[in-house]
Amino acid sequence: MVTGQTFVALLPELVATGFLVVTLMVGVFAERNVGLVAALAALGTLGIFGAAAVLMATGFSGSYFGGAFVVDDFALYFKMIVAGSAFFAVLAAARWSERTGDAGEYLVLILAVVLGSTLVVSMRDLFGIFLAVELATIPSYAMVAFDRSRRESAEGGMKYLITGVIASSVLLYGIVLIYGVSGSAMLSDVAEAFGSGLSPVALVGLVLLASGFAFKVSAAPFHFWTPDAYQGAPTSAAAFLSVAPKAAFFAVLLRILLEGMPEAAPAWTSLMAVLAIITMFVGNLFALRQRNVRRMLAYSSVAHSGYILAAFAALQGDAVQTAVEAVLIYTAAYALMNMGAFLTIDLVGEESKSFNGLFRTRPALALAMGVFMASLVGIPPFSGFFGKAWIILAGAQSGSVLVYVVVGALVVNSVLSVPYYFGIIRNMFFEEPTREARLEPGGTGAVRFSVYALAVATTLFIFFVGPLSALARASGLL
Amino acid sequence: MITTVTIFIPLLGAILMLFLPEDPRITRYGAMGVAAVPFLLATYVYFAFGNNLGAEALSLDVTWIESLNVGYRVGLDGLGFGMFWLSAFLTLIAVVASWDVRGSLKQYFAILFIAEVGMLGVFAAQDLILFYVFFEITLIPMYLLVGIWGDENRRPAAIKFFIYTFLGSTIMLAGFLALGILAGTYSIDALNAGGGLGRTAQVAIAAPILFGLLVKVPAVPLHSWLLDVYVSSPTSTNVVLSGVLPKLGTYGLVKIAIPLLPQGIEPFLGLLAALGVVNILYGSFVAFLQPDLKALVAYSSIGTLGFILLGAASGSAVGLNGAVFQQVSHGLYSALLFILVGIIATRTGTRRISDLGGLAARMPWAGGLLALGALAAMGLPGLAVFVSEFMSVMGGFETFPVQGALAALGIILSAMYLLYMLARVIFGPIERPAYEEINDAGPVEMAAIVPLAALLLVLGIFPALLISVQRPAVEAVLSAIGGG
Repeated sequence: MVTGQTFVALLPELVATGFLVVTLMVGVFAERNVGLVAALAALGTLGIFGAAAVLMATGFSGSYFGGAFVVDDFALYFKMIVAGSAFFAVLAAARWSERTGDAGEYLVLILAVVLGSTLVVSMRDLFGIFLAVELATIPSYAMVAFDRSRRESAEGGMKYLITGVIASSVLLYGIVLIYGVSGSAMLSDVAEAFGSGLSPVALVGLVLLASGFAFKVSAAPFHFWTPDAYQGAPTSAAAFLSVAPKAAFFAVLLRILLEGMPEAAPAWTSLMAVLAIITMFVGNLFALRQRNVRRMLAYSSVAHSGYILAAFAALQGDAVQTAVEAVLIYTAAYALMNMGAFLTIDLVGEESKSFNGLFRTRPALALAMGVFMASLVGIPPFSGFFGKAWIILAGAQSGSVLVYVVVGALVVNSVLSVPYYFGIIRNMFFEEPTREARLEPGGTGAVRFSVYALAVATTLFIFFVGPLSALARASGLL
Repeated sequence: MITTVTIFIPLLGAILMLFLPEDPRITRYGAMGVAAVPFLLATYVYFAFGNNLGAEALSLDVTWIESLNVGYRVGLDGLGFGMFWLSAFLTLIAVVASWDVRGSLKQYFAILFIAEVGMLGVFAAQDLILFYVFFEITLIPMYLLVGIWGDENRRPAAIKFFIYTFLGSTIMLAGFLALGILAGTYSIDALNAGGGLGRTAQVAIAAPILFGLLVKVPAVPLHSWLLDVYVSSPTSTNVVLSGVLPKLGTYGLVKIAIPLLPQGIEPFLGLLAALGVVNILYGSFVAFLQPDLKALVAYSSIGTLGFILLGAASGSAVGLNGAVFQQVSHGLYSALLFILVGIIATRTGTRRISDLGGLAARMPWAGGLLALGALAAMGLPGLAVFVSEFMSVMGGFETFPVQGALAALGIILSAMYLLYMLARVIFGPIERPAYEEINDAGPVEMAAIVPLAALLLVLGIFPALLISVQRPAVEAVLSAIGGG
């Protein structure tokens, strides 16, 4: 039954929808006034963030639409991450999209991805999940292909579209098979059906579902669209897509596995362990070979998906609580540092050579990028360290040999990633500036603000990791 | 509170450095002023609280990550105080000895001060996670100091240093996290004597922690990162690189690995003592073969670090006291020798031992102090290194007679190569006509080396100045081992 409560529960989504429509309208009628359109979109993301924050602060929770839509702290937490990263994406995109002349459309696409991502983390119905995933994914194809001035953009968009559609159908197959076994798409019913043991059909369904999500979060061996898509995409799109929808997809996968098939945990934790190990190694080994910073960061995002999957492998024994916390903390830490690293490309350039001597020419920017790189490696006191520490913690608690192997792989991979992240630091601090690097700084004030704000947040993460972990502990999943 | 202020003053100093005008004179005096503050505070702590380091005024305990029982817990004790003070002291010396830092002086000092935050923090941290955070804070500044201001081989040296030690510390972190999660707290105080863990769990946790610490020291089979980075660094970086950084590893051994995991570390003690002896013998042998004066000092430094491992492994009062003391005396003498090598190299334009000779005639002060440093390194009575090496060997001999005897042999070996070096470099006829023109160390250089030499003497004659401070903490470690 739809009551006033339901509208409150849907507040973030309603805000998103409202601003989406208004931004689209204003974008059409005030085509010249990019500032207004961008301000509206930015306000929209802040509104979504604020709505989720208010719901969380007031302790609002409940489930609606026959249990298919749930509001809990877990969902709200991810809505805040999505909205927060969308805010920076809008800032970074505003002036860029002015140049191409369709600011409105691009910003509306961002808001549409936000809407899909905020919906998906609240869904408890497999078909609802599928629809929300598609709502978050379809606009992102257009975002990747949006930069008409570069051929790579169209190419990346096309590759992303084709693989993405295949992934969606694989995901849907998996959902349908699970639905066939359990006779219901609700996660609670699925859990009951899976409780009495895993039939072969259900296992196939689980594997297909996991593969579908592996595509979406660019886990190896389903990652091959990632470098092309992120290299071609406008920087703001790469930054945003590598963070926000990914966080939401991880969140909903966590919900499906923990709420929908807790009894099948031995099966899917092993699956996740294998995926995690492959993904970490593939991401880092390919990243080592890249000279283009965008591609390097794309492979790095593959590697980081592997780290998060390592937390999924630890979802067993005493470690479930810690592993859930690890996913929550890692996604927040990753959102800060990865968006910052991508956005810096807009200010400097995408060839690793263009970073040469940045410390001499623009020391503050070099420091900010240094912070992002060190944080991506996982060096304290920056945010990435806490994400990794939590995953190792969950692994240590799990008591499973396979998970110990995964944690060992994570340690090895952290070291393996040092050369390419520190390659950038080396170029910035040790090399002489090239002639191009001495040219006028690129990028807009909004991008610079975003980069510095994200660098500060990555550094000061040490202060809010305490409250954040308390929040994660009380997040309500389980 | 005093401790926390001391740790973070350099951070403010680092920020301050970036706002100074581009005048090398002002920059140097400003940096000296910044570096003096933690040094004076640490010295004040020695005189005001020397016998009572557990005082309320020195410690601070603030909840940080409540769900894991991680806290910002800092405080001083006898194990860490010597190195805490020495870190502040050597940073000041490093600022004074920064004459061969070329360009971007402000940035150099700013990065050095960030490293100082980490160094001071490690020796005051009373929480495993905090310890690790401070441990790693030193890493990037050191990488940058070597990589930006080092010699032509600096880049591979810097990244090699980084990768090796980062691998070690990440493995160590896994051990820390496992220990904390099993014991339910990360407070070093509360974890004393195993935190209620069984023997198997302790062994499984001690192994990764030990590995990480030994890479940092470095113990000999894990030392291959060391030579390049020591040789490539500018003199001023060498002071902290050899004076303080190895002690992050050895201090972790006496502060964490041994008292927190007494049963876990027990099967490794024999190995640890053996590694100490390997360090001593290997360092001495290889130092013998070095054509380069700086490489000789670097290997000599590896060698004398072995005494710390031996003393720590002994598990006896005298051995542990010696190990903790040796951290300080090693820092003093190695800093002194590295600075003198820098002084000689800038004047003669070479570090090849075979190209040097007869320098004492032209630079009696620098030559004399080089002799003093070398005599200290070979453990001459009356100098600080003698006290600590003797105690370490005594303790080691009681527990591990074979290793103890071999370590004593190492002292003789070190005398051989150091005397050979002295004979070659400062005595004998003047090797090249150009050396007729060189001057003795100037006032700034003397200001960097004389305090180090003086302290070697003072601590050699009055070792009780330091031992009285560290004894209560060493006894606490002993009771943790005995009670475990």
